Amino acid sequence: MSFHYGQSYSGGGPQHHPPPGAPRWGSPTPGGPAGQYGGATAPPAGNYGRGAAPGSPYGSYGAQGGGAGQYGQGGGGAQYGGGQAPGAPYGGYGQPQRAAYGQQAPAGNLPPGVHPEAQQWFNTVDTDRSGYINQKELKQALLNSNSTPFNDETCQMMFNMFDTSRSGRMDQFGFSALWMYLQQWKGLFQQFDRDRSGSISGTEMHQALSQMGYNLSPQFIQKLVGRFSPHNQQGAVYLDRFIQVCSQLQTMTHAFRERDTGMTGNVRMNYEDFLAGAIGRLM
Amino acid sequence: MAYQNQYRQPQYNNAPADQGFLWNIFQRVDKDRSGAISDTELQQALSNGTWTPFNPVTVRSIIAMFDRDNKGGVNFNEFAGVWKYITDWQNIFRTYDRDNSGFIDKTELKQALTGFGYRLSDQFYNTLIEKFDRQRKGQVAFDDFIQCCIVLQRLTDVFRRYDTDQDGWIQVSYEQYLSMVFNIV
Repeated sequence: MSFHYGQSYSGGGPQHHPPPGAPRWGSPTPGGPAGQYGGATAPPAGNYGRGAAPGSPYGSYGAQGGGAGQYGQGGGGAQYGGGQAPGAPYGGYGQPQRAAYGQQAPAGNLPPGVHPEAQQWFNTVDTDRSGYINQKELKQALLNSNSTPFNDETCQMMFNMFDTSRSGRMDQFGFSALWMYLQQWKGLFQQFDRDRSGSISGTEMHQALSQMGYNLSPQFIQKLVGRFSPHNQQGAVYLDRFIQVCSQLQTMTHAFRERDTGMTGNVRMNYEDFLAGAIGRLM
Repeated sequence: MAYQNQYRQPQYNNAPADQGFLWNIFQRVDKDRSGAISDTELQQALSNGTWTPFNPVTVRSIIAMFDRDNKGGVNFNEFAGVWKYITDWQNIFRTYDRDNSGFIDKTELKQALTGFGYRLSDQFYNTLIEKFDRQRKGQVAFDDFIQCCIVLQRLTDVFRRYDTDQDGWIQVSYEQYLSMVFNIV
């Protein structure tokens, strides 16, 4: 039996370059295994621009204030062009971003590399005005389209990803990177939420994951969606869980592939190897 | 559910807590008087002994374990289970946290898990410490210790389901592997 991971799986590990400052457990690239699985998966830039106009129901996703209409103006969208997977949140953002937003920037002294909208949001989130935000403050700021707070796993994951000093608090630079990262996920999420319901259904998840290059059975995806839906709304995956599922799928696929050296689609592993693979990457 | 499988659970024979005493606690924790304790309510009521908020992921795991009908909280009957579960872990933890610091180090973690029957390499303990040391002290606090044990047990259970000949090795397909780690077997 031959097993396909995706259209153009291109061999083993070395191309897995975490961006600078990325956590050790894998590159935090939204959009899943795009780079590794073949270029087909990077969503075309155009899709981002069209989507949510300011004031659309999407405005309220992550941000309290800020964020709304971000995609409508193509602010983030432009960055996605050129076939680059919407990953590598650190790369590619600095220059064009600042240029694009330069004029709109408030007259203040924004440090280079900090997105004005992110800064604005940072000020709202940093409720105790300490100049840093902690995990609790972050959680209070992140909302799904149905106004539920982000789940703790996703908050923790994103916080750890951008808390590069591992100090348990994040300054405006880390936060700005996190903000951009979140915008990218939001863009993807909106693209796959074809009926604009504010959540991803089983069918939409199936389309999303196949576009990202995953070859998974409908049964598996159905269970996955069931597992990551709110208990009172089965079959609906919200942004927080969407980020969690896609990130974890990516890292666990990577873990599997590292062990599947013959590319047979089957691996043999011992107990501790299994534990280490899951624990080392899953959280 | 993970908890029903007793094979590596703390085995402490404390006398069951008195119902009146538990009811008293339940009412104080159930701040909104909904008749069920939510994640947030439980989190606020729990202390890990280090003056930091109790790990919300641990709280979620514990609630999920005892919340039979998936209502997102625990009623009074279920709370009795939660209470016992946490005090059992507390007793275990105290045995290893000899200086009462609220943290256990790698050696103590190893002693504890070895006591539960785990046989794991030294290197693996480094991974565990790194992953469950939420406060970044090179040691593991009580709440993170519980989470560590819950995760280990869940993964061990799922591994054993596939390891039918019990030789410590499994052969799994890509999708089986994902199902195992996503806990949707």
